[in-house]
Amino acid sequence: MKKNSMKKAFLAVMGSEKRQNITIPLLEVLLGLIAGTIIFLILGKNPIEAFAAFLQGCGLFPKENYAGGRGMFTDFLSYLDNWTPMIFAALAVAVAFKAGLFNIGVSGQMLLSGFIATITVGYSPLPAVVAKPLVILIGVVVGALLGGLIGYLKHRFNINEVVSAIMINYILQYLLSFFILSFYTNPITRQSNVVSDASRLTLQDVMIGDYKTVIPLGFLLALVAVAVMHYFINFTKFGYELKAVGFNGRASRYAGINVRRTIMKAMMTSGALAGLAGVTYYLGYLGSIQPRVLADLGYDSIAVSLLGNANPIGIVFSSFLITVISKGSTYMSSAVSVDQEIGSVITGLMLLFAACGAFVRYKLHMARVSVEEEAREAGKAGKGGDEK
Amino acid sequence: MTMNESAAGTPIIEMRHITKRFPGIVANDDISLSINKGEIFALLGENGAGKSTLMSILFGMYEPDAGEIYIRGEKVRISSPNQATKLNIGMVHQHFKLVSNFTVTENIVLGLEPKKRLGGILPVVDIKGTDGKIAALSEKYGLEVDPRAKIEDLTVSVQQRVEILKMLYREAEIMIFDEPTAMLTPQEIESLLGVIRSLRDAGKTIILITHKLEEIKQVADRCAVLCRGKLVATCDVAATSTHQMAYMMVGREVSNEMEKEPPHFGREVLQVEHLTVKNANGFPVVKDVSFSIREGEIFAVAGVSGNGQDELADAIAGMADAAAGTIRLDGEDITRASVRQRNEAGMAYIPADRQNTGMIMDFTLAENLLLKSYYRPPYCVRGRLHREAFGRKSQELIGAYDIRSGQGADTVVRSMSGGNQQKAIVARELDQQGKLTIFVQPTRGLDIGAIENIHRQILAERAKGRAILLISLELDEVMKLADTIGVIFSGQLLKTAPVQNLTVNQVGNYMMGVTT
Repeated sequence: MKKNSMKKAFLAVMGSEKRQNITIPLLEVLLGLIAGTIIFLILGKNPIEAFAAFLQGCGLFPKENYAGGRGMFTDFLSYLDNWTPMIFAALAVAVAFKAGLFNIGVSGQMLLSGFIATITVGYSPLPAVVAKPLVILIGVVVGALLGGLIGYLKHRFNINEVVSAIMINYILQYLLSFFILSFYTNPITRQSNVVSDASRLTLQDVMIGDYKTVIPLGFLLALVAVAVMHYFINFTKFGYELKAVGFNGRASRYAGINVRRTIMKAMMTSGALAGLAGVTYYLGYLGSIQPRVLADLGYDSIAVSLLGNANPIGIVFSSFLITVISKGSTYMSSAVSVDQEIGSVITGLMLLFAACGAFVRYKLHMARVSVEEEAREAGKAGKGGDEK
Repeated sequence: MTMNESAAGTPIIEMRHITKRFPGIVANDDISLSINKGEIFALLGENGAGKSTLMSILFGMYEPDAGEIYIRGEKVRISSPNQATKLNIGMVHQHFKLVSNFTVTENIVLGLEPKKRLGGILPVVDIKGTDGKIAALSEKYGLEVDPRAKIEDLTVSVQQRVEILKMLYREAEIMIFDEPTAMLTPQEIESLLGVIRSLRDAGKTIILITHKLEEIKQVADRCAVLCRGKLVATCDVAATSTHQMAYMMVGREVSNEMEKEPPHFGREVLQVEHLTVKNANGFPVVKDVSFSIREGEIFAVAGVSGNGQDELADAIAGMADAAAGTIRLDGEDITRASVRQRNEAGMAYIPADRQNTGMIMDFTLAENLLLKSYYRPPYCVRGRLHREAFGRKSQELIGAYDIRSGQGADTVVRSMSGGNQQKAIVARELDQQGKLTIFVQPTRGLDIGAIENIHRQILAERAKGRAILLISLELDEVMKLADTIGVIFSGQLLKTAPVQNLTVNQVGNYMMGVTT
């Protein structure tokens, strides 16, 4: 009896099966935060202070004091600047995921589109009205072509997309480093030369009131992309075919869907979104490219996409959260003096719990069944009593 | 018979008040059974009646939620198949548990490998020494199995005898057979029933799970009838008619007779000429097959499972490429046409594997009902799907074909019963009003009521003048529905003839590749 009342309480909190799409990820996040709290306690730090520092680092909670010309708003806009490519990258993973594909090559697609946009437009004297749209266009086209290549290798030669994407990532990482180091390096920063302000997707050093801020233009585009992808996945023929192929390739073929073409389309869409992540990252947030490394963001986006159920709306929330932890970890590290990597540990823990989502769902289903059965039996007994 | 009488009254197995629940269903509801030593006890019931669950409990694959099991008068708790084996219980599953690239002996000793020491030191598995033991067992029970043959070279019926040998080797006294005749030809069924009788005469206790009344009538001594998880009755087979058993099993009257109108054949709709289909390894699995189907004709392909039926259907439907030959629909060459082009040309296809081919299990019922027409107006206009149109069409089909589900059109198909999934596929395909409808094993796994329903629908399509290709492993079904029968063996159409010119035994012979 007592066991079942626990189950009932659990069910009541988690809500109907539809609402569980929201409550289960929330539970996962909560468990991740609890685990993070335990880690801070073990390290002998105040967890509340630590979590507040994450928020402070992202301009979501006021710091005690700010340097001149900077304020909470400065931090917040800088946070948005960082959040933008994460949204695109996670959408890229999600679209491929819907079609049953794993686009692990997001960081490679980001790097190539960022690099090509940098050397063509970034170092050109083009005016802003031409340069900015051109950068975006290059991001989309280069990303789509690279994603399409992975899709082509898959459907033409049946090469697993994970393997080809990893290989392509390596090739790009070293090949582009060679070009950057040979031709485009700034000897002081040891990064590629910073792109022109006209081509940059984030407006630098804008004064708002007394604060010096940045304006990430790409952020609006990211929100538009979320809405567009939500529409495509849920309300169009393309989305229907994408999901059909993702769930069951054989049945899709039976239905007359051109599975190969659908795989190509999915990978090209995914690549285009990754390309947008690339240009908003390298020509927006950073302004330059660090040679020899791939952006962590490209890999983190896989996690973000999982946590957001590969759902565009869900991704807005999960990318918000994960970016808070990754971006905020720098400030948190100095504020409570622990290693910055603790941020990654917490992200990792949340993912671990996110991977348990299906298990939680199953447990809830079983709990519901047993509660319903008891209710039915109680109902029967009640009726029997009345008749007597 | 004397064996039976002498053993009467000494129950070897007693199951008392067994209850087993699965999410949303009570598979076994307070079932009590007592089975005597040395009898053939049949467990009769429709699919989903709880037969297999009950026997899985006896074999230790599930533990009951309530109830007790007594073996030879002793209360036991059977928590694993290994424990069941220790209690001398063996089971032949519907899908054999054999390693296909191992020999018969290797399969039989698997898990109980006889060991010897090479040169007195090195422990090795003694396969050779066991071959003789297995040959002897095989001879004793007339099983005719070569211990050194590899499983993949054996026919289904020989593989089944390997499973029987496996039980004998493990000294099983109680042998459970789960739907043993499902994959066999009539001749093979005869010989299997003979083997089962000889096992009984040797003092073994046999439990036969089946939904085929004829077999029970032929071999069983007693029979328990299950219906929706409850035990309806336990009866003496000799004293009960098949009609009574069918009534208990279904819970209502079943008419075995079905009105089949005299045929009215029209012009030829499907023409298949010299069709050859190769499998993924490049081996021809359909070889030079030619036949044609006219309007209003049911052309049934009979054959033992795995003789190229699935590939034949896939090639005609466009899911597999034809290596040679031509396929014409209504005179039009469709050999190279895509699946969608064939659909639009009027071909409907109800595939054998309804869960992996016919449906997308994670889609809703509405999405599955529109799987072949989602891209056309009114369901899709300029790339945008119209959910209202989906809903309207689904409601229409759900009503017309009596498809039952938890949340109507929005139910995820995975949560629906097999029978209702099949109804949904049939609804979708028949609704296309095609010229040709391909049915592959349309009644597999369905209960008597649902089978009857599907047969009626097939005959109704025939009456409307559609051409029908029926591919079935159930010979009864073929004989009952077909106008013309083609028997397929090893990818070749060995015999094509009107149904009235063939007897069941002739068809059975052709199914085994005997052409004389």
